[in-house]
Amino acid sequence: MRTKTDTVRGAAISLDGLAKKYGEVQAVQQVDLLIAPGEVVALLGPNGAGKSTTVDMLLGLSTPDTGEVSVFGRKPGKAVAEGLIGAMLQEGSLLEDATVAETVRLVHSLHRHPMPVEEALRRAGVAELADRRCTKLSGGQKQRVRFAVALVCDPDLLVLDEPTAAMDVGTRREFWRSMHEFTAAGKTVLFATHYLDEAEEFADRVVLMRSGRVVADGSVAEVRSAASGRTIKAVVPGADEGQLAALRGVSAASLRGDRAELACADSDLAIRELLARFGNAHDIEINAVGLEEAFLALTTEEETA
Amino acid sequence: MNLTYLALETRRALRSPRALVFTVGMPVLYYFIFSGIWGSGEVGGINAKTALMSSMAAFGAMMGTMFTGARTAQERAVGWQRQLRLTPLTPVQYLLGKGIVGMLVGLIPVLLVSIVGGIDGASLSAGGWVQLVLGVWLSAIPFAVLGLLIGQLATPDTIPVFTMVPMLLCGFLGGLWIPIAIFPHWLGQVAKALPSYWMADIGHGAVGHGSANLGAAAGVLAAWAIVLGALVMLRYRRDAARG
Repeated sequence: MRTKTDTVRGAAISLDGLAKKYGEVQAVQQVDLLIAPGEVVALLGPNGAGKSTTVDMLLGLSTPDTGEVSVFGRKPGKAVAEGLIGAMLQEGSLLEDATVAETVRLVHSLHRHPMPVEEALRRAGVAELADRRCTKLSGGQKQRVRFAVALVCDPDLLVLDEPTAAMDVGTRREFWRSMHEFTAAGKTVLFATHYLDEAEEFADRVVLMRSGRVVADGSVAEVRSAASGRTIKAVVPGADEGQLAALRGVSAASLRGDRAELACADSDLAIRELLARFGNAHDIEINAVGLEEAFLALTTEEETA
Repeated sequence: MNLTYLALETRRALRSPRALVFTVGMPVLYYFIFSGIWGSGEVGGINAKTALMSSMAAFGAMMGTMFTGARTAQERAVGWQRQLRLTPLTPVQYLLGKGIVGMLVGLIPVLLVSIVGGIDGASLSAGGWVQLVLGVWLSAIPFAVLGLLIGQLATPDTIPVFTMVPMLLCGFLGGLWIPIAIFPHWLGQVAKALPSYWMADIGHGAVGHGSANLGAAAGVLAAWAIVLGALVMLRYRRDAARG
């Protein structure tokens, strides 16, 4: 093991006031994020939320219009050159006319302090595919080979952009098992994902992005309780927002005309309260909310409390 | 230069039989077709076949180097180039490696055409053969760089257009297929600005067809290589972002 005393000091990732515009589209605006070494952070958000743009700037693949990026106290390019960052990008990114071992060996040869090729292959679970051409791999196998490519420089920070997108459930579980081996050694991971269960199961912390901003940032416990919430939609004549928000079991309320939308921590309690107070409420729907809404409702509540 | 990188790049270039047959086989095929048409006539006191040999060697070097570089567009499209940017490999090392492999591929048709021409009766002095093979090959450097530029600009779908247009222009105007002596005067002057003209000039000089002006040739070819090289670097640095 090499020692990187420098990397212990300060943050693993520090994004400060990051903004990036593509033409007329403000892809990322004012993103601040501080990630400590050893943290495993999930970056959640819908398509176009700015996750990949943020990841690109973090890796030095694109330059922010404004703001500062630092990885282990260095500029991204320097951190990359020192082999501190391993990354799995979103696109295919494997050579079609090379074998798995050739691909990993190439990246191995470019770095100064890599782990042995065999170890990277084994840890990514692709040792038995070493001599296979990259064209002859399934989607899940390709992702694991790309994981080996990210791993072979023996990085202190892994950045994964939708790593399990092409994997079936079994492969996904296996992938995360091999990731555990990496994080158990106290390394830092930032991964973008669409899957709530992955964020819940694997991350210490969840950062939610929307429209180029970080809209919520919290622990997995917060996400878990948020995700168990439900919304009640109903037509409630004569109510005002304050009254609705004050109902027990309701964490946030919004009213458009007569149509109320209640974000609930306990929807069973909330519906009883609603009908007790407003007997004329009708057209009632109760739905499990998406992660984003629940998470937002939760953090909004925290801010106002 | 990283040898593992060079070795893999070379292996990959040789693994693409379709591209190889095209770039290596075409000049040889053309040699046979045209030499069949022209027979053993003489052009300006030189055996027509011998003159053809030098032209086809230049044509092969041009295609081999340029097409190899242009194929970079494919790995750029699948995001492999972005992955490589996440290693200590510098832009110069990356592009230099690609250029070297392009030059290696470009050497194959030069050698092949020369061997075929030699068997077919071309007779040159030892110095003539060296100038033909080495001179024509080295003068393909601007085309290796042009290939890299195309590779940084084209998508896999547009590679054919991006490569065929400059190849045809340089081939015709450079006098690889028809002697520029039959061009109108102004077009002849335009031709002299092209790298392919000087490449052909070196080849023709090697077989005793006119005398090559090596100094002028080196100057024009170096200028092309430097300008194109600067454009490639500029483009490579700008293209890091997605899409």
